[in-house]
Amino acid sequence: MNADTNTILEIQNLVKDFAGHRVIDDVSFGVKKGEVVFLLGPSGAGKSTVMRCMNFLETPTAGKVLFHGQPVDCSEHGLNLYRRRVGMVFQHFNLFANLTILDNITLAPTSCGIMKRDEAEQLAMQLLRRIGLEDKAKAYPSQLSGGQKQRVAIVRALAMNPEVLLFDEPTSALDPEMVGEVENLIRELAQDGMTMLVVSHDIDFALELANRIIFLADGKLVADAPPAAMTTNENPRIRDFFSLR
Amino acid sequence: MSRFVQHRWLVLLLASFAFLFSSCDDKTEQREKLIMVTSATFPPYEFYQGEHIVGIDADMVREIARRNNIDLIIEDMAFDSIIAAIQTGKADVAASGITVTEDRKKQIDFTTSYVKADQVIIVREDSTIDGADAMKGKRIGVQHGTTGDTYVTTNICEPERFQDGALAVASLATGKIDAVVLDSAPAKKHVERNVGLKILPVSLASEEYAMAIRKNRPELLKMINDTLTAMQADGTMDAITAKYQSKEAKEADKAKSKGFGEWLSHSFEVNFLKDDRWKYLMNGFWVTIEISFCAVLMGLIIGFLVAVIRSTHDQTGRHKILNFLCHIYLTVVRGTPVVVQLLIIYFVIFAAVDISKVLVAIVAFGINSGAYVAEIIRSGIMAVDRGQMEAGRSLGLSYGATMRSVILPQAFKNVLPALGNEFIVLLKETSVCGYIALQDLTKGGDIIRSQTYDAFLPLIAVALIYLIVVVCLSQLLKKLETRLKKNER
Ligand SMILES: Nc1ncnc2c1ncn2[C@@H]1O[C@H](COP(=O)(O)OP(=O)(O)OP(=O)(O)O)[C@@H](O)[C@H]1O
Ligand SMILES: [Mg+2]
Repeated sequence: MNADTNTILEIQNLVKDFAGHRVIDDVSFGVKKGEVVFLLGPSGAGKSTVMRCMNFLETPTAGKVLFHGQPVDCSEHGLNLYRRRVGMVFQHFNLFANLTILDNITLAPTSCGIMKRDEAEQLAMQLLRRIGLEDKAKAYPSQLSGGQKQRVAIVRALAMNPEVLLFDEPTSALDPEMVGEVENLIRELAQDGMTMLVVSHDIDFALELANRIIFLADGKLVADAPPAAMTTNENPRIRDFFSLR
Repeated sequence: MSRFVQHRWLVLLLASFAFLFSSCDDKTEQREKLIMVTSATFPPYEFYQGEHIVGIDADMVREIARRNNIDLIIEDMAFDSIIAAIQTGKADVAASGITVTEDRKKQIDFTTSYVKADQVIIVREDSTIDGADAMKGKRIGVQHGTTGDTYVTTNICEPERFQDGALAVASLATGKIDAVVLDSAPAKKHVERNVGLKILPVSLASEEYAMAIRKNRPELLKMINDTLTAMQADGTMDAITAKYQSKEAKEADKAKSKGFGEWLSHSFEVNFLKDDRWKYLMNGFWVTIEISFCAVLMGLIIGFLVAVIRSTHDQTGRHKILNFLCHIYLTVVRGTPVVVQLLIIYFVIFAAVDISKVLVAIVAFGINSGAYVAEIIRSGIMAVDRGQMEAGRSLGLSYGATMRSVILPQAFKNVLPALGNEFIVLLKETSVCGYIALQDLTKGGDIIRSQTYDAFLPLIAVALIYLIVVVCLSQLLKKLETRLKKNER
């Protein structure tokens, strides 16, 4: 089981049914430490569902989710601890609308008892400086642009110091001129050695950044290979997909 | 007079319930004090003079208590509730111009009767009505639940039923109805104080008043009967009756023939200044505010809890049993009128407990409001984007922590206008407190009306005060809303 001790997060034979309809059909793959893995596939392929199952926002119908080779403890408390180690960034940012930017970042570290209030605020200000938004600390999410919101959402996840970050189409809800700033931040994280699993429709971005690309269609894993191998893959679905570029 | 020959199903139901619940409790037997209930809007038998309830019935019982060395407590409540109060042991004796009827004898014991009363017809001076036969096809006013009500209903036609005699007479004076059938003693008072009315020299039904006590209390019955006999013999009874039937109150109100300005200032003086009557409104106002405020708090707490339980169940499937209980609570509370709930809580749930009525009202309205607040807040929770909960959970926050820090604050802000509306409704709903004899704002107005026989000014004053409170409350809520909105969105 611990064939590769570097594998942080792994799914084995994942199956997910929605109302008797099979959406994910026997999907297995792992993410190693420091790796950037992109999850690609046509719309409705089940990319989001896979990712949500990995974070137990959806309960898998069958199959295993392993964290450092161990099955995740699915009790309420076990899940809370697991999720602190696995950050998630959503397509629609999901910043807490009732909290300031600063409080958005400090809420989880302080309520989980990981940091004291002033410690958490220091860290938050440091993270905000990194993305150039320290002057927005007291602003509310509604006062930010989409790109700014997504960057805040990313550092909010970073504040928990996770071992791996899951991105579900982090740039799809953005106006085109804001995509760059978010992709730049993800690029920086990759350079820093952050382990990431990214769902994206941006093929160029995937080819540039990915160590591995996993291709999903109709809930099945079609290919799991480095970017170079993907562009030359003969599978018609993959060919069609990459020809959209 | 005799009111409530005509029982409402409600009172019957409550009384029988209450009887079941309290039949094993005999603590009233040990009381050193005598609790009398009455419905003090029925001069000259019972009415307010300042803080005190006076009148023939009240003086009669006071004298009985004095002669037997017992402390007397007089409580005022809606006439409808009096028999229930006796049956449940909330009070020892009811003296409220209660007519002796066979129906009532089945539920309570009567003392010997102490007054004979006639039902008479009041009409305008220019009326062509000259007797019972001439009333056929006319609009006739009665006081709800009285002998007059029963008489007219069974012998003449369906009457218009008013909450008290003063309202019926006011309607007659303004031409909204053609005749009023009332007990002779209060009828005389009303005619004295209103211009252009007269009593026809015929009486419709003759009857006797007696006091009511709970069944199976022979010592109490004997004590009261013996004292009444003694009072009859030594002339005390006649003296009391004579005192209230003298024409002392001729003072005022032939004033309507004056100019409007004069009438208004005169009415204002009589209704509010004389005998410090404004205090009824003032005290009533505070009772209303106290009950509303505490009930709102209680409703908020209950509502929050129920809403959180229900939405937690909807989202996670937890708390099946609690959710089921909440569901029952919501169904029952939202499916029944608040007056009924208030009466049930007072007469059934707290039947055997000596508990402050204000507290009863707070509990009743708090429980009632909680159900509406729960559904309002639940809709607010459901309106919060699912992503908010998911984001919280994905960061490792527990369900509860996310609820507290993220979901509920947003839900609360979403529903603030609806909550404000619920509070305004609650404030006005407390006006039914009079049913359990609480002197809230509405009841304060009723008391003034029963003293001055003026239906208009006290009503308008009461309406104005409610209006002012509601307007202030609305402004306050608006401020809160804009403050919450300022930062977001
Ligand atoms: N909560 C749900 N209930 C029922 N069906 C669902 C639910 N969530 C997703 N599905 C279905 O599961 C399938 C996969 O959906 P998913 O969102 O995972 O696809 P995706 O690859 O992320 O697509 P996209 O690129 O459009 O985001 C779709 O057919 C979708 O309709
Ligand atoms: Mg998706």
